[in-house]
Amino acid sequence: MRRVALVVGFAAALAFPTTAWPHASLEYQTPDFRQRLEVAPRQILLRFDQGVKALPDSIQVYTRDGTLVSRAARTAQDARKMLVAVPRLPRGAYTVRWHALSSDGHVVSGVYTFGVRVAAPPPTEAYGASGPTRSEHIVRWLYFAALALLIGGIGFRLVVLPRVVPPALERRFFKVAGIGAVAVIQVGIVAFILRAEDALQLPFGRLLYGNLAPVAEGTRFGKAFIAMTLGFTWVAALLFLAWLTDRRVLLWPALVLSLTLASGLSLSGHSAADRGSSWLSQLADWLHLSAAVLWVGGLVQLAACVWPLAPELRRDVFLRFARLAPALIAVLVSAGVYLSILRLPRLSDLWSAGYGQVLLVKLALVSAALAWGAFHHFIVRPRLDRTSWTRKSLVGESAIAMSILLLAAILVDSKPPPQPQSQRAVIAKPKLAPPSVSPPGASSSARSP
Amino acid sequence: MPPSEHVHWLFATGFLTLGLFLLAEAVVGRDVWKVRAWRTYLWPSTMFMLGLGMWPVMVFFTSSTLHMIAHGAWAEVMMFAGAAELGLATGKLQSGLWRLAIVLAFVVSGVGFLAHEQNPWFFQRSSFLHHLLGWTFLGAAIFPLGRAVRPRSTVFASGFALAFVAVAVMLYTDRDVAPVFGHLSPLAGPPRR
Repeated sequence: MRRVALVVGFAAALAFPTTAWPHASLEYQTPDFRQRLEVAPRQILLRFDQGVKALPDSIQVYTRDGTLVSRAARTAQDARKMLVAVPRLPRGAYTVRWHALSSDGHVVSGVYTFGVRVAAPPPTEAYGASGPTRSEHIVRWLYFAALALLIGGIGFRLVVLPRVVPPALERRFFKVAGIGAVAVIQVGIVAFILRAEDALQLPFGRLLYGNLAPVAEGTRFGKAFIAMTLGFTWVAALLFLAWLTDRRVLLWPALVLSLTLASGLSLSGHSAADRGSSWLSQLADWLHLSAAVLWVGGLVQLAACVWPLAPELRRDVFLRFARLAPALIAVLVSAGVYLSILRLPRLSDLWSAGYGQVLLVKLALVSAALAWGAFHHFIVRPRLDRTSWTRKSLVGESAIAMSILLLAAILVDSKPPPQPQSQRAVIAKPKLAPPSVSPPGASSSARSP
Repeated sequence: MPPSEHVHWLFATGFLTLGLFLLAEAVVGRDVWKVRAWRTYLWPSTMFMLGLGMWPVMVFFTSSTLHMIAHGAWAEVMMFAGAAELGLATGKLQSGLWRLAIVLAFVVSGVGFLAHEQNPWFFQRSSFLHHLLGWTFLGAAIFPLGRAVRPRSTVFASGFALAFVAVAVMLYTDRDVAPVFGHLSPLAGPPRR
């Protein structure tokens, strides 16, 4: 009876949304998202597709250090327009936080930035945004783990496993890689919404009606999200078709496409946005990530698919993976060392800066994983037929590799320590023309109130 | 970006194609339809491709979180249902329970339409259509459910096909801001045409 009442209640709630629930969508705004203005604006104007009511604090304009410079907002003669007057704004970056009230009290909200004679920061660095949270660390870690299952799984199937494998192993491979493909898309969406939530600084109920366009279109992260979401849906489709038609060859474009898409993280992270970044740092970052996910994904396939389902293939597959793993680890370590030197210019940063401390823990875990790998290579490999605990050992190595991905996620979300003054001047000089313009994402000062 | 109604019309064409394939199958009967093996894959692959095509809508139309989530959910369930039906058609999937994937797609689509439309029925034309589409999907879920239990039933097969045709017609009539039954909320702004 209670269940029936619940179902009826749910249906009624869907059938009769309250008599007036109109909510407005922002159609245009002046200044525009991330617009760089040469002349300071005298007012901020937002136009919606429906009528709205402005409260005095409906549009708030903040300077980079959090000083409120706007006056009381009001609705214009055209009820779809809302505006606020601002004094003559000096040169600098500004954050606009707005919320519009519909007649029923339903609120839509948004945030964007603009600059007066300077480039505007991305909305993720708007005044009030607090930066990545613990939830974002976890989500990014899940994203890395999903990439490992997908890219590492496909790479393992194509490069390490023989052309024909037992059906049970083939099914398990597709299950694991399929979980990875679905998770990459889902977790990517969650990561994007979390980042937008931080920029908008809204409780969940209001976030549902928050305008995400400035984050999607105005940040490297947003553009990477768009490209990666679209690309990984095609990877998922290719993976599905490979399973459906038994055409292993379709996995090659899936692998190439997913490795290419992984560069979206390198092109939108520290290696692309921070001072000192170059095509070389982006390439190193991409190689680091690609080698890591191929290695970790291969370990998972070995432990979760080959060992339990194809005992006859264990030896051959283990030996093939043992030949590939050192090459992957060499790329991983070399790119990692280069990036560490780039981001931590002083050795003391390793123990004095938060970023360095996390890196130190990561290095310790990498050393443990390398030692574990060496143990497999030199001790287990010659005795492969006589040991009964190899699978447990592989699971252990996979677990350490996964925990390294967690630390990598924290590092990606953290800000590296600032460059020394002299080095920064040398690096920054060619980029700063005119001298006041900072590259997007370079400054962290706008993040903290 | 194209106006959202143009995107709706594009998907209407996809659903109409899908509905006509299914209607043809219902009219001639499953055995005749299967004489050419490729016909078996027609509607599931159309459904799968429609799901794939929904992703750009999800990532490029980000005016609200809810809008984004709803379109993402439609993309996923359409791909999932299309994939399950393709798996059944090729014999890769054996369990008849996979036929429930399309039922799930109908239910999720219906709830998605109703949840992401926050305006009442008569607020504007698109609101009316969203409510109508939502309830059509929820009500019509009975047809794929019946089809899963009684695959040879003409009633369920025809109902299933006509549900897609009806959805296509509704999507074709979508215009963003236009009066419906002579009524337009003053809050919706002036009609565009």
